Amino acid sequence: MTLLAAGLRKRFGAVAALDGVDARFERGRIVAILGPNGAGKSTLLRTLIGALRPDAGTILIDGVETGALARAARVRCLGYVAQRPLLAGALSVREVVALGRFALDRSQERVERALAATELTREAERVASTLSLGQQQRVALARALAQVDAAGWLVLDEPLAALDPAHSVHAMALLRAHARGGGGVIATIHDPTSAALIADDALLLDRGRAVAAGPAPATLAPRMLEALYGVPFAQLDGDGLVALLPRPMHRSSQGGGSTS
Amino acid sequence: MKSPPRARADPAARTWRRIAAIGAALAALVVLRLFVERPLGGAASFGWPEEAIRTLRMTAIAAALSVGAALGVAGVFLQGLLRNPLAEPFILGVSGGAGLGVTIALAFAWAGTAGSSIAGFAAPEWLPGAELVADAVRQLGLVLPAAIGGIAALVAVIALGQRRGAPDPLALVLAGVVVSTMCGAVVLLLQHLSPQGLRSDLAAWMIGRIPEAVEPALLVVVSALAIAGVALGAALGRSMDAATFGDDEAHAVGVPLRRLRWTLGIASGLLAAAAVTVAGPIAFVGLVAPHLVRSLAGARHAPLVVGAALAGGALLLAADILRQLVDLGGGRIPVGIFAALAGGPVFLVLLRRGKGFG
Repeated sequence: MTLLAAGLRKRFGAVAALDGVDARFERGRIVAILGPNGAGKSTLLRTLIGALRPDAGTILIDGVETGALARAARVRCLGYVAQRPLLAGALSVREVVALGRFALDRSQERVERALAATELTREAERVASTLSLGQQQRVALARALAQVDAAGWLVLDEPLAALDPAHSVHAMALLRAHARGGGGVIATIHDPTSAALIADDALLLDRGRAVAAGPAPATLAPRMLEALYGVPFAQLDGDGLVALLPRPMHRSSQGGGSTS
Repeated sequence: MKSPPRARADPAARTWRRIAAIGAALAALVVLRLFVERPLGGAASFGWPEEAIRTLRMTAIAAALSVGAALGVAGVFLQGLLRNPLAEPFILGVSGGAGLGVTIALAFAWAGTAGSSIAGFAAPEWLPGAELVADAVRQLGLVLPAAIGGIAALVAVIALGQRRGAPDPLALVLAGVVVSTMCGAVVLLLQHLSPQGLRSDLAAWMIGRIPEAVEPALLVVVSALAIAGVALGAALGRSMDAATFGDDEAHAVGVPLRRLRWTLGIASGLLAAAAVTVAGPIAFVGLVAPHLVRSLAGARHAPLVVGAALAGGALLLAADILRQLVDLGGGRIPVGIFAALAGGPVFLVLLRRGKGFG
């Protein structure tokens, strides 16, 4: 019942974007992938969905290599949203979401349900490319929700980065609901605090290697983040929430923590 | 298409109504072209033509419709293939490459005469219309070199139009201009070297024309290709819709991108080749027709392809009618001139708007 990556390697010219990554993603859990810029996070996601062919290594879903899956089976298992979804074609929101069913049956019900879940029903006839970046990301998420089965994985590149706090909270609830329904979520998340809020597990990538993986609270401890990013981190607890903040280098110390 | 469910039925039905309106405009233009006449040096009038004239006009109408449709569909395919709103056969050098292919075939008398392996083709006699089929196959001696030239030009332009490993909208256009100019230069050279008769034929053809006399078999080939192009476009509509997403997301929803791109590239090369073989390299129809339909009927590719075929035919027919009416003292003005004068500004507006550039 897992998505398993073993020994993934991918080079772009002289750069090893993935340098032997092993990772394990369970259903029912949200996994946050963190790492400095250029650590290979997006490359890992693109390789997991099969958009990039790794130079070496295998990806198995429940023991079956993803390359050997029929297209419809693969599509049901793996949905993907890019960091900046490209919605260039002047299609309406509903048309974009309906294309989540491209390789599957054209279930109108799944489309409407995904629109409702992402609160896009009222926007359904608008041209998707004219929406704000945050809304476009929601459209792409709706498309992925219309696409994957309850037991499939949502593979998301920075799903929270472009969202305002309200939509961010809403998106986190959506991802949680998908995990609770038996699906998996794999998301790169830049902000450690957001990662700690949403993720069950964390995977830390550095220069194409998985340097740590495990339950989020332990993996996202300040000393782990310090080792990963090379700057000191502080952990603030309050209101049942945890904030993980990089300490500014100069010591002009801060007042209130972020505890909303 | 016209499924009942609430909100959805409305936009889809409206799209097809608008496409039907384009079809109606096209029908009106067909009627107009049949009746408009202007004797050289005289004034324009309307009248029922006698049979010989009627045949000429029907031929011109058929040529305009099939060439316009082929160009419109090729424009949709190329814009989808490259995610580039400026793409069209003329700009990308596909028409230039096809023109070179035709010229080489003509110059070396490959087409329809000695030297062609398919020149001696004879259809079995039991086949209905065996003569026409045999003629049509012989016409491929012209269309195939055109297609090879067009596809080769497209491959070259895509290879040259890369920046940092990805096709760049403006670099593609520049590469297209260069490839187009170079193909044109070779065509002019071959023209310069050809005998007098062929030379003036080639000159008229190079400007872009809607002929009133064409080999019927060639017309059959071009119409068949145009219709096949529309059918292919309608079948690939959803794939092209999904391919407007980024490559990774298109892959994730299940689009076989590589296969789609090869299909679109080869099909647009064939369509442009068919158009060029009959009418010469006509500019901008492949650009204006899709954009016109998009602004009227939305961006879904299946209706877009049908609409662009109709609109392409209508635009060329309108230009051909205009040419019957306008007399600046030098006889009838070639259609290619109208197309370039009317289409150029549209290109510039799209270029300035910069819509859809990565």
